[in-house]
Amino acid sequence: MRNKSMLTESRQIQMASELIRLGARLQLLETETDLSRERLLKLYKEIKGVSPPKGMLPFSVDWFLSWQANIHSSLFVDIYRYLLAHTDSRGIDATIKSYKLYLEHVVAGELDCVLSMTRAWTLVRFLEGRVLKAVPCAKCGGHFVMHAQDLHADYVCGLCNVPSRAGKTKKEKQANPMDASKLLAA
Amino acid sequence: MNPEQMTEEIREVNLSYMLLARQMVQQDKASAIYRLGISKEVADIIDNLSHGQILKMVAANLLLCRFRIDDRLILEMLANNNRSHAMSQ
Repeated sequence: MRNKSMLTESRQIQMASELIRLGARLQLLETETDLSRERLLKLYKEIKGVSPPKGMLPFSVDWFLSWQANIHSSLFVDIYRYLLAHTDSRGIDATIKSYKLYLEHVVAGELDCVLSMTRAWTLVRFLEGRVLKAVPCAKCGGHFVMHAQDLHADYVCGLCNVPSRAGKTKKEKQANPMDASKLLAA
Repeated sequence: MNPEQMTEEIREVNLSYMLLARQMVQQDKASAIYRLGISKEVADIIDNLSHGQILKMVAANLLLCRFRIDDRLILEMLANNNRSHAMSQ
């Protein structure tokens, strides 16, 4: 065990359980805490009652650029940037806080919860790694997630310029496995 | 509504606003700063206000909370939104 301090450890366990409740995958927990894989696995099973899903994390950059996902991601990033700019909250703590505020917004507006905790965390890493970037829309001035390398001198966002078939896919109507109010209440 | 009633209403809104704001700041400062749209310095001050100070602040004929959406364009988009279905997704 790398952890010598009991206090640090208990804090980390608390954070890990909060992340699990919010729907984080095991890889995220391994990166963000110093707890061993075995303990995280145990914790996960205890909280969720099932083994964590196996396989790679969703890693697509383009997912954040599709219409609906882009708006949700941009909302999350806006909250995240606000917290970084105006509070002392940093790192995973800021990510968790922003994600909770995002969930609240989703519940309040009775929207589908599109962005998962793991995706939100990936998004933050993409921003830090300068793969993605928040770019202001030339029309409304809101910041939206875009490829960092794109030309965005007069970028117009998906809300000012709604694509004709936006939000009308079949997949949209299927039951969403993520229920924001449940995630928040957990 | 006569002026006295108006002042009374304002005082009530102010009081609930200040009490809520202080509770929010004390519970979770970072989220409160986001929700209230205030700076960290202001949040620190609100955190340390006593009841007496709040009561004094509240008894003014001005509203202490300000309209959050100060961008005319965004507000217009919200108010005259004829694509509300698409936007609500």
